[in-house]
Amino acid sequence: MRALVIDDSRAMRRIVSGILEGLGYETQQAGHGREGLDVLDGGWLPELVCVDWNMPVMDGLQFVSAVRANPAYRQLTIMMVTSESEHTQIVRALAAGAHEYMIKPFTADAFRDKLALLGLLPQEVAL
Amino acid sequence: MNDVDTGERRRSGETRPVITELIDEATVQSIAEDAWTALVGEDEILLPIPGELTGDIVSSWVDVVGPWTGTVVLTTGRETAAGLTRALLGDHAPDELEDEDIADAFGEIANVVGGNVKAALPGPSALSLPDVGDAPAVRNPADVCRLDVLWRGEPLSISVQGALPALPGAPQN
Repeated sequence: MRALVIDDSRAMRRIVSGILEGLGYETQQAGHGREGLDVLDGGWLPELVCVDWNMPVMDGLQFVSAVRANPAYRQLTIMMVTSESEHTQIVRALAAGAHEYMIKPFTADAFRDKLALLGLLPQEVAL
Repeated sequence: MNDVDTGERRRSGETRPVITELIDEATVQSIAEDAWTALVGEDEILLPIPGELTGDIVSSWVDVVGPWTGTVVLTTGRETAAGLTRALLGDHAPDELEDEDIADAFGEIANVVGGNVKAALPGPSALSLPDVGDAPAVRNPADVCRLDVLWRGEPLSISVQGALPALPGAPQN
């Protein structure tokens, strides 16, 4: 399985990618939404996109809207991974087309639980 | 003659909350502890003991703009910030940290702490991208909630501080 991790913090990209790779994912990283779209437009289509909210150039909400506007990316599952934890913000992200919302800080176990909810735990891990 | 509404009356009666009316040190500490546990390490403890910040210090911060407007600032020694960066990156830490690595990691900790402080305040509010450098000045000493802790024996402060000067006639600390 593949996952694209979009966050302007290299440290956070490494943490999220590390968790996903530990679960068997192949990952790519992008520093903001525009870079994330470039990865998708280049043909690397993952099952999961983990995207931060507050980023320069293109923020996470703009990224979600752009992905949802493109029928070619309909199959992508998007999880916002962000410190934006106001209820109104969560509702905005879900309304824009995100499937799940993970509030920073999180533990690896909590991250895994979210993937399980999304049905995106690799089979050998889920067993 | 009719009164003309110049707005002066409203301005003279203007009030806005100071941070100590909205959040307390215990809440900030709880937010920081959650961030440390998740980002820095499960066994990492923040001891609520004041320590003196001296020498080469660095701050990271995010701005909150909303019903309360201000900044969430983390300040510690540069070596401690480097230690936090190594802990955060774990096995992914490079042999030699560059300033950019420290700014990125320390900024992300401010982002996580600040985002959760924002969630504890009246909203809606907006959160800025993190910044790293010399801490923004305190504009109103009465509009500050400050937590001093020790991490691995080294001092670190978390200051939630208003961005605006005190209103005329407002109490000063």
